[in-house]
Amino acid sequence: MSDHHNNQPLGFYADNPEWTTPESINEELVARHEAKSKYFKPILLALGVGVILGVIGLILRLVDGVSDTSKWGYTAAVLAFLLTTASAAPMVAIAPRIAKGHWRRIISRPAEMWSAAGLISLLLFIPMLWVLPSLEDGRRSLWFYHPGEVFAYSPHLWMTLSLVGLVILGFALLWISALPDFALLRDRAEAGSKERKRYTWLARNWTGATGDWIWQKHRLGIVGALYFLMLITVHFLFSVDFLMTLVPAWIDALYPATHAVHALQAGAATMIITMFILRRFCGYKEIGHDQFWGLGKLMFALSLMWFWFWMSSFMVYWYGKRPNEQQVLELFVKGPYLPLFYANFILVFVVPLFTMIWNFLRRSIWGPTLISVSVLIGIFFDRIRVYVAAYSVSDQSAEFHGIKTIPPTVYPDVADVFIVIGAITAPILVYMLISRVVPIINIWEQKELLLYKLHKKYHRATVMVLGKPE
Amino acid sequence: MDGKKWGMVVDLDKCTGCQSCVVACQSENNIPINDEPLFNQRRAIEWIRVERYWEGEFPNIKARFIPVFCQQCDDAPCEPVCPVYATYHNSEGLNVQVYNRCVGTRFCANNCPYQVRFFNFWEPEWPESFHNQLNPDVTVRSRGIMEKCTFCVQRIRRTSRDAKKNGTSVEDGDRALNPACVNACPTGTLVFGDLNDSESNVAKLTESELHGDHGRGYHLMEDYGTNPSVIYLKKVDEDAELEEAHH
Amino acid sequence: MQEYSYASDKEINKSLLKDVLGMPKWWLAAFGSLLLVWLTGMGAYGWELNQGMGVTGVNRPVYWGFYITNFVFWIGISHAGIMVSAILRLTQAEWRRPVTRAAEVLTLFSLIAALTNIAFHVGRPWRLYWIGPYDFSRGIWPNIRSPFVWDPSAVGTYLIGSTLFVFIALIPDLAAARDRATGFPRKIYAVLSLGFRGTPRQWKLQAVAGILLSALVLPVFVSVHSIVSWDFAVSIGVEGWHSTIFAPYFIIGAIHSGVSAVAMLMALMVWLWKWDKYITPDHFDSIGRLLIIVATTWFFFFALEWIFALYTMESAEIALREWQIFKNPMGPLFLVFMITSYFIPVPAWLFKKVRRSPMGMFITTILVNVGMWLERFLIIVPSLQRRSPLEFDWGSYAPSIVEILLVTSTFAFVGMGVLLFAKVFPLVPIFDMKEGVRLRDEIQVGRRSVPATIRE
Repeated sequence: MSDHHNNQPLGFYADNPEWTTPESINEELVARHEAKSKYFKPILLALGVGVILGVIGLILRLVDGVSDTSKWGYTAAVLAFLLTTASAAPMVAIAPRIAKGHWRRIISRPAEMWSAAGLISLLLFIPMLWVLPSLEDGRRSLWFYHPGEVFAYSPHLWMTLSLVGLVILGFALLWISALPDFALLRDRAEAGSKERKRYTWLARNWTGATGDWIWQKHRLGIVGALYFLMLITVHFLFSVDFLMTLVPAWIDALYPATHAVHALQAGAATMIITMFILRRFCGYKEIGHDQFWGLGKLMFALSLMWFWFWMSSFMVYWYGKRPNEQQVLELFVKGPYLPLFYANFILVFVVPLFTMIWNFLRRSIWGPTLISVSVLIGIFFDRIRVYVAAYSVSDQSAEFHGIKTIPPTVYPDVADVFIVIGAITAPILVYMLISRVVPIINIWEQKELLLYKLHKKYHRATVMVLGKPE
Repeated sequence: MDGKKWGMVVDLDKCTGCQSCVVACQSENNIPINDEPLFNQRRAIEWIRVERYWEGEFPNIKARFIPVFCQQCDDAPCEPVCPVYATYHNSEGLNVQVYNRCVGTRFCANNCPYQVRFFNFWEPEWPESFHNQLNPDVTVRSRGIMEKCTFCVQRIRRTSRDAKKNGTSVEDGDRALNPACVNACPTGTLVFGDLNDSESNVAKLTESELHGDHGRGYHLMEDYGTNPSVIYLKKVDEDAELEEAHH
Repeated sequence: MQEYSYASDKEINKSLLKDVLGMPKWWLAAFGSLLLVWLTGMGAYGWELNQGMGVTGVNRPVYWGFYITNFVFWIGISHAGIMVSAILRLTQAEWRRPVTRAAEVLTLFSLIAALTNIAFHVGRPWRLYWIGPYDFSRGIWPNIRSPFVWDPSAVGTYLIGSTLFVFIALIPDLAAARDRATGFPRKIYAVLSLGFRGTPRQWKLQAVAGILLSALVLPVFVSVHSIVSWDFAVSIGVEGWHSTIFAPYFIIGAIHSGVSAVAMLMALMVWLWKWDKYITPDHFDSIGRLLIIVATTWFFFFALEWIFALYTMESAEIALREWQIFKNPMGPLFLVFMITSYFIPVPAWLFKKVRRSPMGMFITTILVNVGMWLERFLIIVPSLQRRSPLEFDWGSYAPSIVEILLVTSTFAFVGMGVLLFAKVFPLVPIFDMKEGVRLRDEIQVGRRSVPATIRE
């Protein structure tokens, strides 16, 4: 790559100086997509081992049966963690696309590809359907369910529908966004080759006519918005029916929103780490300061928001001093999971606050990455703290206005560790496999940027002019 | 003086709803006259009130009475919300109100689940002939401030001071010590005393009824976790569901 | 499509300073009638001071009524300024430029209006200074555990921050006014403009101060309404208030009503001062889009609050909710609130035609604020009426004429404030408009010309 011009840092709005024409972008990105690294297979194998461990863990768990919810806390926690990280990562593509932020262009595809991890969430969710305790002991539910009444008032039904919906929307988003790129790959593949057939199937009848583009842009906007709404719904349903209802007296109207805000924060963190890996190990040097800077700012804001949401809940319970609310705090904050809470608080709020406030760090590549790792670990602790604690509460009757006894700390056993390993490696495996089919950089959005970007003289300086289409 | 914790026991089984406690309180504590317009405005000041609930359908209807007054909570919700420390907890377990500090935000009244705090909407007025009837030991409160039951703190102070002067100790059940409502109650519904003195009537009743196995004792709206110094004893009635509901 | 102005600097100076240096015909009439309304309100306040709180409608258990509702409402409106100036500045939204100052000025006066409501509300306003950390002969500091001590701290900080914010952004314009004014006003502007002569260093300092203040005032912005919401949410004595969602719910509600008020003010600026060249349909369009998002987020939080109120299935909570939506007079008010705050404005904003017309935005945003006033009322008063399990003490509330006059007077007060400000200082930031013109460009894409911004 030649020296960049205009004294602008590399990666300024994905500005590879060689990408001056649509052809050069096509050429370069298709070549990179088709290149194969010698590390690809070994990493795939290593991840495969992790997935196998996860399957073993799940089988071990299932052997124990589904009646004892306290054994399933870690599975629920890691499922929530997946919904919070991988499933939220596509928001990094969706939100700036709606706001017409150009900096998203180079990372929109890596973000959308995380939606494929929804498959793993769906698989993990299947046992949870049986784990969720019956409502017949008088446990509360979002659906005011009474035994023997209509099936439609069922947490199982709505959660399943929304999760399936999320996965379908995720794949739809990925497919619609990749359509023009599939068509490009189709047209460049040799006639009769395997690739040709694959991409012909994937690209359907895309010809690049104006009608095609209008259709694609329109659908992209709608599906993106629907994905966001479905993500909020999934977080709402999961955090209420699969978490809050298990704890008597935990009536926290804010918590579903808190859960979703955690997801936006963790989604941004996931993307920053993904971007770092793509830049450092996969040669996508175009992902640069603008992206890290933009997402870093976003993560900083979301860390502050984390504190605000947490504080809003904590404040009301703590100040009021009602015994049943004190018990909820005792369970989640002050009691058996106190160290996890401290770790969570420091990693998700204190560390980002006191580091990202520093421009030097926020402008760097490694700064936001390290802090993203901290945030992800913190969110993981948070999920364990909340889910494991909630699943270990034994008496869940709504008749009683509080928790009778605070359950002791539940430590993970071998099966839990295996499940966690599996649940974290499996989405990465899926991600890597999909990257063989879908170009990891959005080729058409890069070409589109050429239309809206202009360098021109302004007084004595050369400036960049960016168009914002209506 | 040290180590006292004043408390009250209300035996609902004995309460007839006669309202003598209300009258006694009015005259002891210089409470302005509650005339009809004031009641209609819902601004009547009653440091102690007898709440009346109907149970059942006519003609099988029963009236249930429950005297409600400041519960002198140990974890009083009214205290932390006062911006000017007009209400605070003293060393004898009383939740006291300092009239002169009050600016009248009425936050304490909102945060009191028992609704036993009263605001002086108007300047209190008594007919000329009543002026000599006012209790000299009790402040006449001006408009714009909060007030509430004090357990007749002026009587507690006077007896304690007298006992100290004479070198004796405060006697349990002393009529000079008891709040006006306790003295006025014809059925002995209200029992007042020092909860820390294990020999006192209130302490014995608390021990047997609240902590005992088959006791009738409960705190009003216990769920709120206010730790009141007032203990209610359930009505001895198989269908006494109403009190149960508040349990 | 795009109708941003390309006016020259001279033109901008002339048209934006015209009414500062001169006197528009309608100004005195408008100011005079608002003054009359305000004075009537102050007369009512004098009566209240003289007679006591008895002249209002509050009673036991509805100890808080119209004044607190109005206090929360004005605090909500005050969130407009920072939302529009600070957040839109930090996110570099170009359309903010002509409306930033109007929004900040609205913030300033609505904060003062909110504070006066506290004086209307308390029993002994002449002792209100005891809430401040003023330790004189009494030897008692305020109780920092009380949300009513957090309130003045937060609101005070916000007021100081917003004043600085307005002032920093005003300096270059004051200099412009100084250079064009004569006589005594010139001296005043000269003092206020702090010797601003437009040197590069002065511009840099002014810009840095603006950005720093934007960032610093944001946490205050969030804290103010959170704390106001905690006045309610931390109470355990009132079932309907004790909800964890209150802080974010109040903030988003405040942004909803605040940004709506700014849109309303924009329409007034177009009509009264004839600034349609600077505030174009594009600006209305942008604020309309922002409002759709804000309103829908607000609605999400509203729904959460309701879902979890019903989820508890506690008798007290159910009684309150039944009272709020099915009984007179709360039921009809609730219906009006729902329709005006969401179900008319948001569907209307989905149409480009409504979003781009000042009249359409004016009507819908007034509806929003009617709805949001009612929202606060419906949170505060019914919850107090049905506050606890002691059914014997359920109450009622009707505002008295004194309360109505005083509430009306706060609206007149804010109107007067904005009018007075616009008479003395330029209401549309002159330097910001010029900067906007400089950074604006167009890019030809095929046959279309796309608006573009020069990246700073």
